[in-house]
Amino acid sequence: MTVLGVGGSPIAVEAFVGRGLPSFTLTGLPGAAVTDARDRIRPAVEHAGLEWPLRRVVVNLAPGNLRKEGAGLDLPIAAAVLLATAQVPDHAAAGWAFAGELSLRGDVLSTPGILSIAIAAARAGLEGVVVPAANAVEASQIDGLRVVGARSLADVAGFLRGTWNPPASTTDHQIEPVGASEVDLAEIRGQAQARRALEVAAAGGHNLLMVGSPGAGKTMLARRLATILPALTREEALEASQLHSVAGLLAGRGLLQIRPFRAPHHTVSTAGLLGGGSSVLRPGEASLAHHGVLFLDEFTEFRRDAVEALRQPLEDGRIVLTRSVGSAVFPARFTLVAAANPCPCGYHGDPARECGCPEHRRSQYRHKLSGPLLDRIDLRLRVPRLTKMELMGSEAGEASASVRERVQAARERQRDRYVGIGVLCNGHLSGPAARREARLAGETEALLERAVDSMALTGRGFDRALKVARTIADLEGQERILAVHMAEALSYRSGLEEEEAVARAG
Amino acid sequence: MRDDARMGWPPGFADGPRGRLALLTLSCLRGITPRTLFKLAWGEGTAAASLRAIQRGQAGSASDRSWASEVDPDEVTDKLKRCSARFLANGDPEYPAELNDLLADPPGWLFVRGQRLRAGDLRVAVVGSRVCSSAGRDIAFDLGRRLAGAGVAVVSGAANGIDAASHRGALAAPGPTVAVLGSGIDVFYPPSKREMLARIEAAGTVVSEYPPGTAAEPRHFPARNRIIAALSAAMVVVEGAAKSGSRISVDHALDLGRDVFAIPGPVTSPLSETPLELIREGATMVRGADDLLADLGVAARIALEPPPDLPPDERRIFETLVEPALPDAVARRADLSTPQAITALLGLELRGLVRVLGGRYERRLASSAASAEAPE
Repeated sequence: MTVLGVGGSPIAVEAFVGRGLPSFTLTGLPGAAVTDARDRIRPAVEHAGLEWPLRRVVVNLAPGNLRKEGAGLDLPIAAAVLLATAQVPDHAAAGWAFAGELSLRGDVLSTPGILSIAIAAARAGLEGVVVPAANAVEASQIDGLRVVGARSLADVAGFLRGTWNPPASTTDHQIEPVGASEVDLAEIRGQAQARRALEVAAAGGHNLLMVGSPGAGKTMLARRLATILPALTREEALEASQLHSVAGLLAGRGLLQIRPFRAPHHTVSTAGLLGGGSSVLRPGEASLAHHGVLFLDEFTEFRRDAVEALRQPLEDGRIVLTRSVGSAVFPARFTLVAAANPCPCGYHGDPARECGCPEHRRSQYRHKLSGPLLDRIDLRLRVPRLTKMELMGSEAGEASASVRERVQAARERQRDRYVGIGVLCNGHLSGPAARREARLAGETEALLERAVDSMALTGRGFDRALKVARTIADLEGQERILAVHMAEALSYRSGLEEEEAVARAG
Repeated sequence: MRDDARMGWPPGFADGPRGRLALLTLSCLRGITPRTLFKLAWGEGTAAASLRAIQRGQAGSASDRSWASEVDPDEVTDKLKRCSARFLANGDPEYPAELNDLLADPPGWLFVRGQRLRAGDLRVAVVGSRVCSSAGRDIAFDLGRRLAGAGVAVVSGAANGIDAASHRGALAAPGPTVAVLGSGIDVFYPPSKREMLARIEAAGTVVSEYPPGTAAEPRHFPARNRIIAALSAAMVVVEGAAKSGSRISVDHALDLGRDVFAIPGPVTSPLSETPLELIREGATMVRGADDLLADLGVAARIALEPPPDLPPDERRIFETLVEPALPDAVARRADLSTPQAITALLGLELRGLVRVLGGRYERRLASSAASAEAPE
């Protein structure tokens, strides 16, 4: 079994042991890591107390047109040699898939992508998989698949000979993907508007931009967005876990139980953000955030090209990578949360500290916070740094669990409404669809008219406000968007557009 | 020496078509300073004679001499026509007589675009830093809006920062404003202010001492500042670092006997240097447009109280919004639910009574100036 992109593909490994000078040939388009196996497998076999044939050994990997990558083929190659030399009974391996990296001592080492391999094995109708013991929990998440977690090559030989009984299959250890996060919305004091905005973002699947001074709590808030998103369904958990498994990040755990929260540093490369690699295509941060939250702190510091490349996943929910080694599709449907300072020094609009930035630098900075990607962020929010008085005067926040209930209800309302148009939530609506689905109450139209005139709303700003207002109405269980919903939607603002408007015209 | 200097340029200096063309040619010379030319004018008596003196090399620099023969007054007239500017000679009916208060160097001419400058108009200069704080810009905008709203023309230099904010305030009123350029009358500088200057030309007046095609040069700005000071009955300084250009404008205003007002700022801010220094020296401290209008004896035309027909929720919010506050705090203070408060705040915002800054809601300067609290 090998992994290409996020999916596993079955590889047939055949070994031939015949007359000739002792040699070991590997055919069938092996990649660099697979070629390495030649030198690694022989010591592993010998350390396991097995015999390496001093004859001509040819191992073929089929299909020959598919480039094989990764050290996970060590174990199947070794098993094929054991079969070819009749050190284990013929047919013992029928119906089984093998994957795992070997050490020189014959240990089976933890290997990335085992979850994908198990899924592919189940899809191919195999009976079971032999995988590294460290990854056995991962593989055992798949129904109807027997899983043997091997610690060493000797275990595998024993299993094939029927002399070693693997520990009871852990299939019944499936963990339901409902779990408690280590953070909670209740820990945030004050910031009532920001907490509410998170709820709206979660309920409507809206991307969020937070603008605020250093220390305002943007990172704290972003981290808690993942905790109020609806609980992961099993399918979602499988998809997300597969990506983490391929990236080698699942580390002995079963499925992800809470929505992923990824916060790449702003120096991340385009490949790091979107995925890539020269021989093995690895998922990037955007895919690791699949079904979760991708948080870009210091948004203006990210490379512009990397950030703009996020448009594809934001629209399609997936990333298509095409490289010389082939192309791969990585799912990447995440909620984007971007955070930025209001100006280069960070203190514009802060009541306690003077902003030292000249107007033209602020204007340049605001320019960085615009562009095609920003147009896809429905919710913009100013997160002010709270004064001591404001902190003390505010009551403790509501817990994530109870907010999540409202979010879930709002999501269900949206799913029912959009069942015909293939959209899950308001955040995924196109502009025209948003205008079609808005259902404004009469009073709301009057309010909107006034707002468009005096707030210099652009067409896109208008659509964004509609979508957000729709979500607020859904949270309140209202069929129509009332004036209060629209007023709330219009109250979420980064403050930067207004500054820009003032600087340009006022 | 000359008592009649107060009268400006020699009577009949640019009379007749020839005199006018000579004056236009003189306006295009770059080497001779207004001061030198003014002396020469009193020596020679007419524009034509002064021009001849320069051409003969008796006055001005060598480059002026070659310039004087190269300038084609018709071409200049053409260029003026193209930007629909007019050429005012000192002594023309539209030429503002106040400029002759500049005893040593009253401009011999002005290029003017836009509305007529009328004798008897009350004009006030608003000056300050190009690099200003956002508070400074808000104050300048508000001053511009309130002054112009009360019918007082706002005079400034169309530069970035305080200048532009005061002009924009006046345009927003809408009311009269005068921009004095340091570049040719057809050169709108800085480029970022082109659109604003076009609006000023439509609603107010753009003035320059420099003929079409003259680029903005550093030496023009102090000379331009003397015109700003002389055109105005009073001058307000909003923000200025130590030894700033505003200080030069103020010195002109003081020399001319104009009233000087200053808006104080925090003593810790370098931008407060000039205004605070001026207050120490005796300039009148003003907190904003109300103080200024009161001191100028002009009745404010903009209502300071919230309009009487405000819906109850909005009135309640407006009355309790005494300092910048987060929306949930606004709601608590007004004893309304947060959605109610947000709706009312949006209503107030659409009426221009409230604005959001850095996530907090506050009354707009124009309305808060009426209350007892000093605006932030």
